[in-house]
Amino acid sequence: MSGSRTGRDSLPETDASDAEGRAHRVRDAVERRAIAAFAVATAAVLLLVFYYPVSRVFVDAVLVEGAWTLRVVTSVLQDPFYFGPLARVLSGESPVAVARTVLAGRADLGIVGFTAYQAALSTLASVALGLPGAYLLARYEFTGRGTLRSLTMLPFVLPSMMVAVGFVATFGSEGTLNALAGALGLGQVDLLYSLEAIVVAHAFYNAPLVTRMTTAAWESVDASAVETARSLGATPLQAFRTVVVPQLVPAVLMSATLAFVFTFGSFPIVLALGGYQLATVEVFIYQLIGDFSYAPAATLALVELAVSLSLMYAYLRYEARQRTRTRGARPLPRRPLRPPDWSPRELLPRVGLAGYGTVALVVFALPVASMLYASVSGPTGLTLEHYAFLVERQTTGAAFQVRPWPAVRNSLVFGAGSLAMALPMGVVVAVLTTRDYAGRKLVDAVAMAPLAVSGIVVGLGLLRGLVFGVDVFGTRFVVDGALAIVAAHAVAGYPFVVRVVAPNLERLDPALVESARALGASRVRALLDVELPLVWPAVVAGAAFAFAISVGEFTSTAVLASQTGEYTMPVAIQRFIGRRLGPATAMGGVLLVVTAVSFVLIERLGGARDGL
Amino acid sequence: MGSEPPALELEGVTKRYGETTAVSDLSLAVERGEFFTLVGPSGCGKTTTLRLVAGFEAPTAGTVRFAGTDVAGVPPEDRDVGVVFQNYALFSHLSVGENVAYGLRYTDLPDGQSRDERVAELLELVDLPGMADRDPDTLSGGQQQRVAMARALAPQPDVLLLDEPMSALDARLRERLRVQVRRIQRELDITTLYVTHDQEEALAISDRVAVMRDGGVEQVGTPQDVYRRPATRFVAEFVGDNNVFAGEVTAVEDGVASVRVGDATLSVGLSETEPVTVGDRLTFCVRPSALTVGGGASRFEATVESAEFLGETTRVHLDWDGRSLLLGTEVVPEGRVSVGFEAEDAHVVEVEER
Repeated sequence: MSGSRTGRDSLPETDASDAEGRAHRVRDAVERRAIAAFAVATAAVLLLVFYYPVSRVFVDAVLVEGAWTLRVVTSVLQDPFYFGPLARVLSGESPVAVARTVLAGRADLGIVGFTAYQAALSTLASVALGLPGAYLLARYEFTGRGTLRSLTMLPFVLPSMMVAVGFVATFGSEGTLNALAGALGLGQVDLLYSLEAIVVAHAFYNAPLVTRMTTAAWESVDASAVETARSLGATPLQAFRTVVVPQLVPAVLMSATLAFVFTFGSFPIVLALGGYQLATVEVFIYQLIGDFSYAPAATLALVELAVSLSLMYAYLRYEARQRTRTRGARPLPRRPLRPPDWSPRELLPRVGLAGYGTVALVVFALPVASMLYASVSGPTGLTLEHYAFLVERQTTGAAFQVRPWPAVRNSLVFGAGSLAMALPMGVVVAVLTTRDYAGRKLVDAVAMAPLAVSGIVVGLGLLRGLVFGVDVFGTRFVVDGALAIVAAHAVAGYPFVVRVVAPNLERLDPALVESARALGASRVRALLDVELPLVWPAVVAGAAFAFAISVGEFTSTAVLASQTGEYTMPVAIQRFIGRRLGPATAMGGVLLVVTAVSFVLIERLGGARDGL
Repeated sequence: MGSEPPALELEGVTKRYGETTAVSDLSLAVERGEFFTLVGPSGCGKTTTLRLVAGFEAPTAGTVRFAGTDVAGVPPEDRDVGVVFQNYALFSHLSVGENVAYGLRYTDLPDGQSRDERVAELLELVDLPGMADRDPDTLSGGQQQRVAMARALAPQPDVLLLDEPMSALDARLRERLRVQVRRIQRELDITTLYVTHDQEEALAISDRVAVMRDGGVEQVGTPQDVYRRPATRFVAEFVGDNNVFAGEVTAVEDGVASVRVGDATLSVGLSETEPVTVGDRLTFCVRPSALTVGGGASRFEATVESAEFLGETTRVHLDWDGRSLLLGTEVVPEGRVSVGFEAEDAHVVEVEER
């Protein structure tokens, strides 16, 4: 209303206060429209650096050499090289005959089939490694439980290339595991470039997710429900089976679905630990881009998007059906980890947990430790030469060689740039999606789509659409490679800003904004003066998230780097990984520090962490 | 009391959690078919006591007996108890019928009755016929409470344990449901241990109540006993509105003590069991309904502070030389009034000997 101001405006006054009144009016008008303006700007950015490039990729699949055709799509779908037995069915062979050869074990799965196969194995490994962790965190009390519980969020920010280096430093032919085996007089093992390495690395990423979601479900089990079952005649085991398990199953299924989606579309891990021999869809798309075969690449990207989107849809449908019941829930009491007595009943589960702890240490801690150790060790003992190498301004070397300093510098500059872009976008979308209006769900879906689209597709789209140039009304419009990388990172990172900020905004009492508005503040003033100061820790956490995502991003950067000459630390690591482990591990060390700081910020300030 | 041992008996039961004592040296006995209520403010140990009976907790010391048998070490599933929790703890992944049938998985049904018949019978008992296929989350709070009740009763437990089963419901519904709970309890003649913080509910529903405080029992008795003859000052103040006075005994004559309270000397009727002598310090109470304006054997002048119209009666807040008093009346007095009570309406709760 701003009654006082309109009141003064209506009075006949001197020129000076007239000008003042006009200034007021302009400011009011700007403020009133500020949120709308930011929303429009965010939409424009999304359209320009996400929706346009991505749709450009899909047009590539059906617009070959200037003509619309389904030729490439059908030939890819019917190629057993991609689709294995399914391709033969799609090209008209009898499903029965195909099924017979599959059952006889004589059929190659094809690239899509292999991708699904490794994703299924990775999901199984993640669930197997994640569930005991949930049991430990939900049912036992011990020092450091809270820390361990929050560490399950770490994989969200750990750069995958860093993890890959860690795995090379652990399981490679010169890795710590072989050093240990050698010291013990055992033979050499080389786990790299094998399916096992990929599966274990995927479990490194996704088991904590399973642990996290299952722990949350386990902690929300009402102790009264279990006690009721006991009073009705169920033994502890029967009560667990009939009351606790049904409440855990949805969480396990949902986390397994997410793990499958993530590992189906996993790129850096497979590229670094599997190589082209064990190519998944993503790796093969990357390879096709390198060969300038954009149409098949786009078709495969479509297939991948279809698979992950339908799984995500199923996931969201299922999630919506899961009611969260918190009313009066009293969580199950946690047992001390130190056994109260030495009876087999107390001892057995704890011995199991100790075994699990050992495995978890090898999978989760050893890679990071090995990477750090490798980064400071040389042929003559401990050294800092690998780190020194990073900051040398190399003057020699051919153009195709990767120079470390530009990688470090680019990573930090791009990180800052994408942070500056992602933060306002994220805050605006958070504001837009925490208010009630028709179409809010659509806005949410449109804004969150970047989470579901592979970085390969975004990178490829930016490359084809903006970096190579596009004609807009006769003007050639070309985006610089560095700017394209920043844009890709911002688009990848801002959903995380939304995810951190939105729940905190949602929790604010709407009466706060209403009070501010009633006192004369415009909507944007209320946001700046009241809401954001109250949720600033979440904004900082969101910023840390955006920065960490940018610094660790590999996929779209790799695609853009392949044709623009701009690269970042993760890209450099990938190029170093087979040849020079020292600099790769040193860069891993730098990435670890950056992401660890971000993680601490997110963890301390993030607030609603279960929303992630 | 017959020769039969009590259905439920606690003897010298203590429960400690680390440093804190939730229940200390508590003894009580519940007869077969009795509706017995533990009432007290939060933190008094009433819920812990119920959990000790159910077997969810083990006592630090003391014995819990079911029909004379010590149940130490007997897990909850073997105690033949039915439990209803404050939040009902309905299994949301099961239908109403499956919830009620849950306990039947682990017990044999009486004389060839089918599970479905038993479920239907119980839903009938709690006035929810035909609700078996419903999802518990679609029921109202009162309906959920009754499903929880049916579920607890289905396996025919020896003892029914109810832990504040109505505190999540609104006042009106609570009053209706407690009539129903009582009817079902009478119909099945089941020994029931009921926990509540609501003294009015405790008085309305129980055969006997135990008023608890700080892990111990202050008084056990029928609702009438506890209301009319509170054993301690705590009970007097906890159960219903009360005016508590304390003063020195100046004379004892014909079963009436004269007690000096402030400027006034008040007459207090003594029961035969209480040896009161001059010089003792006496604490006694008078219900607001027993205070009258302008009448009574003992009188004093007080000022009307405010009045609350409650429908049946009006509660008048009085100030008597800094003491806050309550008076129940239909005619609201004003200003300075003479207030009094009869000696037999005063009830002695504590005698401190000289």
